[in-house]
Amino acid sequence: MITVDARPAPFSFATDSTALLVIDMQRDFLEPGGFGESLGNDVAQLRRTIGPLADFMVKWRAAALPIIHTREGHRPDLSDCPPAKLTRGKPSMRIGDPGPKGRILIRGEYGHDIIDELAPIDGEPVVDKPGKGAFYATELQDLLDQGGITSLLVAGVTTEVCVHTTVREANDRGYECLVLADCVGSYFPEFQRVGLDMIAAQGGIFGWVADSTSVPL
Amino acid sequence: MTATIGPVKATPYLWPYDGTVGVDHVALVCIDWQTDFCGPGGYVETMGYDIALTRAGLPATARLLAHARSLGMLVIHTREGHDPDLSDLPANKRWRSAQIGAEIGGQGPCGRILVKGEPGWEIVPEVAPVAGEVVVDKPGKGAFYATNLDLVLRTHRITHLILTGITTDVCVHTTMREANDRGYECLILSDCTGATDPSNHAAALHMVTMQGGVFGCVSTSDDVVEATEPSNHPTHRPKAD
Repeated sequence: MITVDARPAPFSFATDSTALLVIDMQRDFLEPGGFGESLGNDVAQLRRTIGPLADFMVKWRAAALPIIHTREGHRPDLSDCPPAKLTRGKPSMRIGDPGPKGRILIRGEYGHDIIDELAPIDGEPVVDKPGKGAFYATELQDLLDQGGITSLLVAGVTTEVCVHTTVREANDRGYECLVLADCVGSYFPEFQRVGLDMIAAQGGIFGWVADSTSVPL
Repeated sequence: MTATIGPVKATPYLWPYDGTVGVDHVALVCIDWQTDFCGPGGYVETMGYDIALTRAGLPATARLLAHARSLGMLVIHTREGHDPDLSDLPANKRWRSAQIGAEIGGQGPCGRILVKGEPGWEIVPEVAPVAGEVVVDKPGKGAFYATNLDLVLRTHRITHLILTGITTDVCVHTTMREANDRGYECLILSDCTGATDPSNHAAALHMVTMQGGVFGCVSTSDDVVEATEPSNHPTHRPKAD
Protein backbone atom coordinates (compact mmCIF):
# COMPACT_ATOMS: atom_id res chain seq x y z
CA MET A 1 0.00 0.00 0.00
CA ILE A 2 1.07 3.54 -0.72
CA THR A 3 -0.15 6.27 1.62
CA VAL A 4 -0.48 9.89 0.57
CA ASP A 5 -0.72 12.86 2.90
CA ALA A 6 -4.06 14.25 1.65
CA ARG A 7 -7.11 16.31 2.57
CA PRO A 8 -9.23 15.57 4.58
CA ALA A 9 -7.28 12.48 5.70
CA PRO A 10 -4.43 10.26 4.45
CA PHE A 11 -5.26 8.35 1.27
CA SER A 12 -3.96 4.79 0.83
CA PHE A 13 -3.99 2.79 -2.38
CA ALA A 14 -2.75 -0.57 -3.61
CA THR A 15 -0.65 -0.45 -6.76
CA ASP A 16 -2.41 -3.47 -8.26
CA SER A 17 -5.87 -1.90 -8.09
CA THR A 18 -5.27 1.79 -8.88
CA ALA A 19 -5.26 3.68 -12.17
CA LEU A 20 -4.35 7.23 -13.11
CA LEU A 21 -7.26 8.85 -14.95
CA VAL A 22 -6.24 11.78 -17.16
CA ILE A 23 -9.27 13.79 -18.21
CA ASP A 24 -9.62 15.79 -21.44
CA MET A 25 -6.08 17.16 -21.83
CA GLN A 26 -7.07 18.07 -25.40
CA ARG A 27 -5.74 20.74 -27.73
CA ASP A 28 -9.22 22.29 -28.01
CA PHE A 29 -9.13 23.09 -24.29
CA LEU A 30 -5.45 23.76 -23.65
CA GLU A 31 -3.68 25.21 -26.66
CA PRO A 32 -3.36 28.89 -27.52
CA GLY A 33 -5.56 29.55 -30.54
CA GLY A 34 -7.89 26.68 -29.64
CA PHE A 35 -11.59 26.51 -28.84
CA GLY A 36 -11.18 27.27 -25.14
CA GLU A 37 -9.14 30.38 -25.77
CA SER A 38 -11.52 31.51 -28.54
CA LEU A 39 -14.28 31.66 -25.89
CA GLY A 40 -12.21 34.22 -24.02
CA ASN A 41 -10.67 31.83 -21.51
CA ASP A 42 -7.13 32.14 -20.16
CA VAL A 43 -5.51 28.85 -21.18
CA ALA A 44 -2.49 29.60 -18.98
CA GLN A 45 -4.71 28.60 -16.04
CA LEU A 46 -4.91 25.11 -17.55
CA ARG A 47 -1.41 24.91 -19.00
CA ARG A 48 0.22 25.15 -15.57
CA THR A 49 -0.92 21.57 -15.00
CA ILE A 50 1.05 20.18 -17.96
CA GLY A 51 4.49 20.19 -16.30
CA PRO A 52 3.49 18.54 -13.02
CA LEU A 53 1.26 16.02 -14.78
CA ALA A 54 3.93 15.10 -17.35
CA ASP A 55 6.41 14.55 -14.52
CA PHE A 56 3.91 12.44 -12.60
CA MET A 57 3.06 10.34 -15.67
CA VAL A 58 6.76 9.54 -16.11
CA LYS A 59 6.95 8.27 -12.53
CA TRP A 60 3.65 6.39 -12.82
CA ARG A 61 4.70 4.66 -16.04
CA ALA A 62 8.13 3.86 -14.57
CA ALA A 63 6.26 1.99 -11.83
CA ALA A 64 4.36 0.12 -14.59
CA LEU A 65 1.00 1.43 -13.34
CA PRO A 66 -2.03 1.91 -15.62
CA ILE A 67 -3.11 5.19 -17.19
CA ILE A 68 -6.52 5.80 -18.78
CA HIS A 69 -7.06 8.94 -20.87
CA THR A 70 -10.38 10.55 -21.76
CA ARG A 71 -11.44 12.95 -24.51
CA GLU A 72 -14.69 14.89 -24.76
CA GLY A 73 -16.07 14.96 -28.28
CA HIS A 74 -18.78 14.04 -30.70
CA ARG A 75 -19.36 12.10 -33.88
CA PRO A 76 -18.89 14.13 -37.07
CA ASP A 77 -22.66 14.01 -37.75
CA LEU A 78 -23.33 15.30 -34.19
CA SER A 79 -25.83 12.50 -33.64
CA ASP A 80 -24.53 12.07 -30.08
CA CYS A 81 -24.67 15.76 -29.20
CA PRO A 82 -27.79 16.78 -27.27
CA PRO A 83 -29.54 19.78 -28.87
CA ALA A 84 -29.35 21.72 -25.62
CA LYS A 85 -25.56 21.31 -25.50
CA LEU A 86 -25.21 22.39 -29.10
CA THR A 87 -27.30 25.52 -29.02
CA ARG A 88 -27.66 26.87 -25.52
CA GLY A 89 -26.17 30.20 -24.61
CA LYS A 90 -25.70 31.20 -28.25
CA PRO A 91 -21.92 30.68 -28.23
CA SER A 92 -19.78 32.45 -30.82
CA MET A 93 -18.52 29.04 -31.90
CA ARG A 94 -20.53 25.86 -31.68
CA ILE A 95 -19.49 22.25 -31.41
CA GLY A 96 -18.89 21.02 -34.96
CA ASP A 97 -18.07 24.46 -36.36
CA PRO A 98 -14.78 24.87 -38.18
CA GLY A 99 -12.25 26.13 -35.64
CA PRO A 100 -8.57 26.97 -35.62
CA LYS A 101 -7.65 23.32 -35.05
CA GLY A 102 -10.36 21.60 -37.10
CA ARG A 103 -14.03 21.10 -36.33
CA ILE A 104 -14.58 21.90 -32.68
CA LEU A 105 -14.81 18.90 -30.33
CA ILE A 106 -15.28 16.45 -33.20
CA ARG A 107 -13.65 13.04 -33.00
CA GLY A 108 -10.78 12.63 -35.44
CA GLU A 109 -10.01 16.36 -35.68
CA TYR A 110 -6.61 17.70 -34.66
CA GLY A 111 -7.99 19.88 -31.88
CA HIS A 112 -9.93 16.99 -30.35
CA ASP A 113 -6.78 14.99 -29.69
CA ILE A 114 -4.60 15.01 -26.58
CA ILE A 115 -1.72 17.49 -26.42
CA ASP A 116 1.69 16.16 -27.46
CA GLU A 117 3.23 16.63 -24.00
CA LEU A 118 0.79 14.12 -22.48
CA ALA A 119 0.16 11.84 -25.45
CA PRO A 120 -0.92 8.29 -24.57
CA ILE A 121 1.60 5.55 -25.18
CA ASP A 122 0.88 2.11 -26.60
CA GLY A 123 -1.42 0.10 -24.40
CA GLU A 124 -3.00 3.06 -22.59
CA PRO A 125 -6.73 3.19 -23.28
CA VAL A 126 -8.34 6.39 -24.51
CA VAL A 127 -12.03 6.72 -23.60
CA ASP A 128 -14.11 8.99 -25.83
CA LYS A 129 -17.02 10.54 -23.99
CA PRO A 130 -19.93 12.64 -25.26
CA GLY A 131 -20.56 14.39 -21.94
CA LYS A 132 -18.75 15.89 -19.00
CA GLY A 133 -18.70 12.66 -17.00
CA ALA A 134 -16.40 9.85 -18.16
CA PHE A 135 -18.77 7.06 -17.04
CA TYR A 136 -21.95 7.96 -18.91
CA ALA A 137 -22.20 6.37 -22.38
CA THR A 138 -18.61 5.07 -22.33
CA GLU A 139 -16.70 1.83 -21.69
CA LEU A 140 -14.84 3.22 -18.66
CA GLN A 141 -16.66 1.05 -16.11
CA ASP A 142 -15.83 -2.09 -18.12
CA LEU A 143 -12.17 -1.10 -18.38
CA LEU A 144 -11.95 -0.59 -14.63
CA ASP A 145 -13.76 -3.87 -13.90
CA GLN A 146 -11.47 -5.82 -16.22
CA GLY A 147 -8.40 -4.26 -14.67
CA GLY A 148 -9.58 -4.88 -11.12
CA ILE A 149 -9.34 -1.16 -10.45
CA THR A 150 -10.97 0.15 -7.28
CA SER A 151 -9.05 3.41 -6.71
CA LEU A 152 -8.39 6.31 -9.05
CA LEU A 153 -5.89 9.13 -9.07
CA VAL A 154 -7.54 11.88 -11.08
CA ALA A 155 -5.91 14.60 -13.20
CA GLY A 156 -7.06 16.80 -16.07
CA VAL A 157 -9.35 19.67 -16.98
CA THR A 158 -11.44 21.43 -16.06
CA THR A 159 -11.63 21.03 -12.31
CA GLU A 160 -15.24 22.05 -11.76
CA VAL A 161 -16.71 20.62 -14.96
CA CYS A 162 -15.34 17.35 -16.33
CA VAL A 163 -13.09 16.42 -13.40
CA HIS A 164 -15.85 17.08 -10.86
CA THR A 165 -18.55 15.30 -12.85
CA THR A 166 -16.34 12.24 -13.31
CA VAL A 167 -15.25 12.12 -9.65
CA ARG A 168 -18.90 12.38 -8.57
CA GLU A 169 -19.80 9.49 -10.90
CA ALA A 170 -16.85 7.43 -9.65
CA ASN A 171 -17.66 8.13 -6.00
CA ASP A 172 -21.28 6.98 -6.38
CA ARG A 173 -19.92 3.78 -7.96
CA GLY A 174 -17.75 3.13 -4.90
CA TYR A 175 -14.34 4.08 -6.34
CA GLU A 176 -11.91 5.84 -4.04
CA CYS A 177 -10.66 8.98 -5.77
CA LEU A 178 -7.62 11.10 -5.04
CA VAL A 179 -7.72 14.35 -7.01
CA LEU A 180 -4.22 15.66 -7.80
CA ALA A 181 -4.52 19.37 -7.03
CA ASP A 182 -1.50 20.48 -9.08
CA CYS A 183 -2.58 18.34 -12.05
CA VAL A 184 -6.16 19.63 -12.38
CA GLY A 185 -6.99 23.07 -13.71
CA SER A 186 -9.84 25.50 -14.20
CA TYR A 187 -10.03 28.62 -16.36
CA PHE A 188 -11.32 30.33 -13.19
CA PRO A 189 -9.13 30.45 -10.05
CA GLU A 190 -12.21 30.75 -7.81
CA PHE A 191 -13.61 27.48 -9.18
CA GLN A 192 -10.24 25.76 -8.86
CA ARG A 193 -10.23 26.57 -5.15
CA VAL A 194 -13.88 25.84 -4.38
CA GLY A 195 -13.88 22.79 -6.65
CA LEU A 196 -11.10 21.20 -4.62
CA ASP A 197 -12.70 22.28 -1.34
CA MET A 198 -15.99 20.61 -2.30
CA ILE A 199 -14.23 17.27 -2.94
CA ALA A 200 -12.76 17.22 0.56
CA ALA A 201 -15.76 18.75 2.41
CA GLN A 202 -17.90 16.82 4.92
CA GLY A 203 -15.19 14.28 5.65
CA GLY A 204 -14.29 13.84 1.97
CA ILE A 205 -17.75 13.60 0.48
CA PHE A 206 -16.42 12.93 -3.02
CA GLY A 207 -12.84 11.87 -2.25
CA TRP A 208 -9.38 13.10 -1.29
CA VAL A 209 -7.14 15.94 -2.50
CA ALA A 210 -3.32 16.15 -2.62
CA ASP A 211 -0.56 17.42 -4.88
CA SER A 212 1.10 14.87 -7.17
CA THR A 213 4.41 15.56 -5.43
CA SER A 214 2.89 14.14 -2.24
CA VAL A 215 2.48 10.71 -3.86
CA PRO A 216 5.55 8.71 -2.73
CA LEU A 217 6.37 6.68 -5.84
CA MET B 1 -53.97 23.33 -25.39
CA THR B 2 -51.41 22.19 -22.88
CA ALA B 3 -49.95 24.61 -20.40
CA THR B 4 -46.46 25.79 -21.29
CA ILE B 5 -43.41 27.13 -19.50
CA GLY B 6 -40.91 29.60 -20.88
CA PRO B 7 -39.15 31.68 -21.66
CA VAL B 8 -38.15 31.88 -17.98
CA LYS B 9 -35.99 34.77 -16.81
CA ALA B 10 -32.78 32.94 -15.93
CA THR B 11 -28.99 33.13 -15.96
CA PRO B 12 -27.17 32.90 -18.35
CA TYR B 13 -29.99 32.62 -20.92
CA LEU B 14 -33.77 32.66 -21.12
CA TRP B 15 -34.74 29.09 -20.22
CA PRO B 16 -35.29 26.75 -21.95
CA TYR B 17 -32.86 26.93 -24.86
CA ASP B 18 -35.72 26.04 -27.22
CA GLY B 19 -37.94 28.90 -26.04
CA THR B 20 -40.94 27.24 -24.53
CA VAL B 21 -41.93 23.75 -23.46
CA GLY B 22 -45.24 22.03 -22.78
CA VAL B 23 -45.63 21.04 -19.15
CA ASP B 24 -46.20 17.46 -20.30
CA HIS B 25 -42.49 17.38 -21.21
CA VAL B 26 -41.26 18.93 -17.96
CA ALA B 27 -40.62 17.21 -14.63
CA LEU B 28 -40.22 18.93 -11.29
CA VAL B 29 -37.50 17.00 -9.48
CA CYS B 30 -37.38 17.37 -5.70
CA ILE B 31 -34.12 16.00 -4.44
CA ASP B 32 -33.59 14.48 -0.97
CA TRP B 33 -35.89 16.68 1.10
CA GLN B 34 -35.42 14.12 3.87
CA THR B 35 -35.31 14.56 7.62
CA ASP B 36 -31.75 13.23 7.50
CA PHE B 37 -30.74 16.29 5.48
CA CYS B 38 -33.03 19.04 6.79
CA GLY B 39 -34.86 17.81 9.87
CA PRO B 40 -34.02 17.98 13.56
CA GLY B 41 -31.99 14.97 14.68
CA GLY B 42 -31.13 13.91 11.12
CA TYR B 43 -27.80 13.05 9.53
CA VAL B 44 -26.84 16.63 8.63
CA GLU B 45 -27.61 17.96 12.09
CA THR B 46 -25.76 15.01 13.64
CA MET B 47 -22.69 16.00 11.61
CA GLY B 48 -22.91 19.40 13.29
CA TYR B 49 -24.30 21.54 10.47
CA ASP B 50 -27.03 24.19 10.78
CA ILE B 51 -30.23 22.79 9.28
CA ALA B 52 -31.65 26.31 8.91
CA LEU B 53 -29.43 26.45 5.81
CA THR B 54 -30.78 23.24 4.29
CA ARG B 55 -34.38 24.12 5.26
CA ALA B 56 -34.22 27.55 3.64
CA GLY B 57 -35.66 26.37 0.33
CA LEU B 58 -38.65 24.51 1.79
CA PRO B 59 -41.32 27.27 1.64
CA ALA B 60 -40.57 28.19 -1.98
CA THR B 61 -40.42 24.52 -2.98
CA ALA B 62 -43.79 23.85 -1.31
CA ARG B 63 -45.34 26.73 -3.28
CA LEU B 64 -43.80 25.53 -6.54
CA LEU B 65 -45.01 21.98 -5.87
CA ALA B 66 -48.58 23.27 -5.53
CA HIS B 67 -48.15 25.15 -8.82
CA ALA B 68 -46.75 22.07 -10.61
CA ARG B 69 -49.53 19.87 -9.27
CA SER B 70 -52.17 22.35 -10.45
CA LEU B 71 -50.66 22.14 -13.94
CA GLY B 72 -50.51 18.33 -13.93
CA MET B 73 -46.74 18.40 -14.26
CA LEU B 74 -44.83 15.21 -13.52
CA VAL B 75 -43.37 15.44 -10.01
CA ILE B 76 -40.48 13.23 -9.00
CA HIS B 77 -39.05 12.94 -5.50
CA THR B 78 -35.74 11.34 -4.68
CA ARG B 79 -34.43 9.89 -1.45
CA GLU B 80 -30.85 8.96 -0.66
CA GLY B 81 -30.62 5.83 1.43
CA HIS B 82 -29.37 2.32 1.79
CA ASP B 83 -30.83 -1.12 2.34
CA PRO B 84 -31.00 -2.16 6.03
CA ASP B 85 -28.24 -4.76 5.49
CA LEU B 86 -26.06 -1.96 3.97
CA SER B 87 -25.25 -4.20 1.00
CA ASP B 88 -25.48 -1.17 -1.31
CA LEU B 89 -23.27 1.07 0.84
CA PRO B 90 -19.75 1.54 -0.58
CA ALA B 91 -17.11 0.91 2.07
CA ASN B 92 -15.49 4.34 1.61
CA LYS B 93 -18.84 6.14 2.02
CA ARG B 94 -19.44 4.30 5.29
CA TRP B 95 -15.90 4.96 6.52
CA ARG B 96 -16.08 8.68 5.77
CA SER B 97 -19.43 9.10 7.52
CA ALA B 98 -17.96 7.36 10.58
CA GLN B 99 -14.95 9.69 10.52
CA ILE B 100 -17.25 12.69 10.78
CA GLY B 101 -19.22 11.16 13.66
CA ALA B 102 -22.44 10.15 11.90
CA GLU B 103 -21.92 6.64 10.54
CA ILE B 104 -24.44 5.58 7.91
CA GLY B 105 -26.38 2.63 9.31
CA GLY B 106 -25.63 3.65 12.89
CA GLN B 107 -28.30 4.74 15.34
CA GLY B 108 -29.18 8.42 15.39
CA PRO B 109 -31.98 10.42 17.00
CA CYS B 110 -34.19 9.65 13.96
CA GLY B 111 -33.40 5.96 13.63
CA ARG B 112 -30.59 4.36 11.64
CA ILE B 113 -28.87 7.05 9.61
CA LEU B 114 -29.72 7.05 5.87
CA VAL B 115 -31.34 3.62 6.03
CA LYS B 116 -34.52 2.94 4.07
CA GLY B 117 -37.66 2.81 6.17
CA GLU B 118 -36.24 4.77 9.10
CA PRO B 119 -37.92 8.02 10.27
CA GLY B 120 -34.90 10.12 9.30
CA TRP B 121 -34.98 8.80 5.75
CA GLU B 122 -38.55 10.00 5.12
CA ILE B 123 -39.31 13.16 3.17
CA VAL B 124 -40.31 16.08 5.42
CA PRO B 125 -44.07 16.87 5.52
CA GLU B 126 -43.79 20.33 3.89
CA VAL B 127 -42.92 18.77 0.51
CA ALA B 128 -44.04 15.16 0.98
CA PRO B 129 -45.13 13.20 -2.10
CA VAL B 130 -48.84 12.78 -2.80
CA ALA B 131 -50.43 9.70 -4.32
CA GLY B 132 -49.30 9.10 -7.89
CA GLU B 133 -46.00 10.95 -7.66
CA VAL B 134 -42.84 9.07 -8.46
CA VAL B 135 -40.33 8.47 -5.67
CA VAL B 136 -36.86 7.37 -6.74
CA ASP B 137 -34.58 5.76 -4.17
CA LYS B 138 -30.90 6.28 -4.85
CA PRO B 139 -27.79 4.89 -3.16
CA GLY B 140 -25.54 7.75 -4.27
CA LYS B 141 -25.47 11.49 -4.72
CA GLY B 142 -26.64 11.35 -8.33
CA ALA B 143 -30.27 10.36 -8.96
CA PHE B 144 -29.45 8.58 -12.24
CA TYR B 145 -26.83 6.05 -11.15
CA ALA B 146 -28.30 2.69 -10.08
CA THR B 147 -31.90 3.95 -10.30
CA ASN B 148 -34.76 3.88 -12.82
CA LEU B 149 -34.98 7.68 -13.11
CA ASP B 150 -33.83 7.86 -16.74
CA LEU B 151 -36.36 5.18 -17.71
CA VAL B 152 -39.16 6.98 -15.85
CA LEU B 153 -38.33 10.27 -17.59
CA ARG B 154 -38.09 8.73 -21.06
CA THR B 155 -41.30 6.76 -20.53
CA HIS B 156 -43.06 10.02 -19.72
CA ARG B 157 -41.39 11.75 -22.70
CA ILE B 158 -39.75 14.27 -20.40
CA THR B 159 -37.05 16.45 -21.96
CA HIS B 160 -36.79 19.34 -19.47
CA LEU B 161 -36.11 19.25 -15.73
CA ILE B 162 -36.70 21.82 -13.00
CA LEU B 163 -34.53 21.01 -10.01
CA THR B 164 -35.12 21.71 -6.33
CA GLY B 165 -33.63 20.11 -3.27
CA ILE B 166 -30.62 19.66 -1.07
CA THR B 167 -27.82 20.02 -0.97
CA THR B 168 -27.02 22.35 -3.84
CA ASP B 169 -23.38 21.41 -4.28
CA VAL B 170 -23.70 17.69 -3.58
CA CYS B 171 -26.85 15.80 -4.61
CA VAL B 172 -28.52 18.52 -6.69
CA HIS B 173 -25.34 19.30 -8.63
CA THR B 174 -24.45 15.65 -9.20
CA THR B 175 -27.95 14.96 -10.49
CA MET B 176 -27.93 18.06 -12.71
CA ARG B 177 -24.58 17.00 -14.21
CA GLU B 178 -25.90 13.49 -14.88
CA ALA B 179 -29.08 14.90 -16.44
CA ASN B 180 -27.14 17.36 -18.58
CA ASP B 181 -24.89 14.62 -20.01
CA ARG B 182 -28.05 12.68 -20.88
CA GLY B 183 -29.40 15.62 -22.87
CA TYR B 184 -32.04 16.94 -20.46
CA GLU B 185 -32.43 20.73 -20.44
CA CYS B 186 -32.09 21.68 -16.78
CA LEU B 187 -33.10 24.62 -14.63
CA ILE B 188 -31.92 24.86 -11.00
CA LEU B 189 -33.78 27.20 -8.65
CA SER B 190 -31.72 29.28 -6.24
CA ASP B 191 -34.58 29.76 -3.78
CA CYS B 192 -35.53 26.06 -3.75
CA THR B 193 -32.07 24.69 -2.93
CA GLY B 194 -29.59 25.02 -0.07
CA ALA B 195 -26.27 23.74 1.22
CA THR B 196 -24.53 23.10 4.51
CA ASP B 197 -22.12 25.89 3.58
CA PRO B 198 -23.57 29.10 2.05
CA SER B 199 -20.45 29.73 -0.02
CA ASN B 200 -20.74 26.27 -1.58
CA HIS B 201 -24.38 27.04 -2.44
CA ALA B 202 -23.33 30.26 -4.17
CA ALA B 203 -20.36 28.69 -5.95
CA ALA B 204 -22.42 25.75 -7.17
CA LEU B 205 -25.02 28.08 -8.70
CA HIS B 206 -22.28 30.21 -10.24
CA MET B 207 -20.64 27.16 -11.84
CA VAL B 208 -23.87 26.34 -13.69
CA THR B 209 -23.90 29.72 -15.39
CA MET B 210 -20.37 29.66 -16.82
CA GLN B 211 -19.47 28.95 -20.44
CA GLY B 212 -22.93 29.82 -21.72
CA GLY B 213 -24.64 27.56 -19.19
CA VAL B 214 -22.40 24.52 -19.01
CA PHE B 215 -24.99 22.51 -17.07
CA GLY B 216 -28.11 24.60 -17.80
CA CYS B 217 -29.57 27.69 -16.14
CA VAL B 218 -30.28 29.24 -12.73
CA SER B 219 -33.58 30.93 -11.88
CA THR B 220 -36.16 31.26 -9.10
CA SER B 221 -39.53 29.69 -8.41
CA ASP B 222 -41.29 33.03 -8.91
CA ASP B 223 -39.78 33.37 -12.36
CA VAL B 224 -40.98 29.87 -13.27
CA VAL B 225 -44.51 30.67 -12.12
CA GLU B 226 -44.36 34.00 -13.94
CA ALA B 227 -43.36 32.27 -17.18
CA THR B 228 -46.16 29.70 -17.02
CA GLU B 229 -48.92 29.94 -19.60
CA PRO B 230 -51.83 27.96 -18.15
CA SER B 231 -53.96 25.61 -20.16
CA ASN B 232 -57.67 26.07 -20.76
CA HIS B 233 -58.13 22.48 -19.68
CA PRO B 234 -56.61 20.70 -16.72
CA THR B 235 -54.01 18.13 -17.63
CA HIS B 236 -54.53 14.62 -16.39
CA ARG B 237 -51.41 12.62 -16.08
CA PRO B 238 -51.58 8.83 -15.79
CA LYS B 239 -50.46 7.56 -12.43
CA ALA B 240 -47.04 5.97 -12.34
CA ASP B 241 -46.53 2.68 -10.53
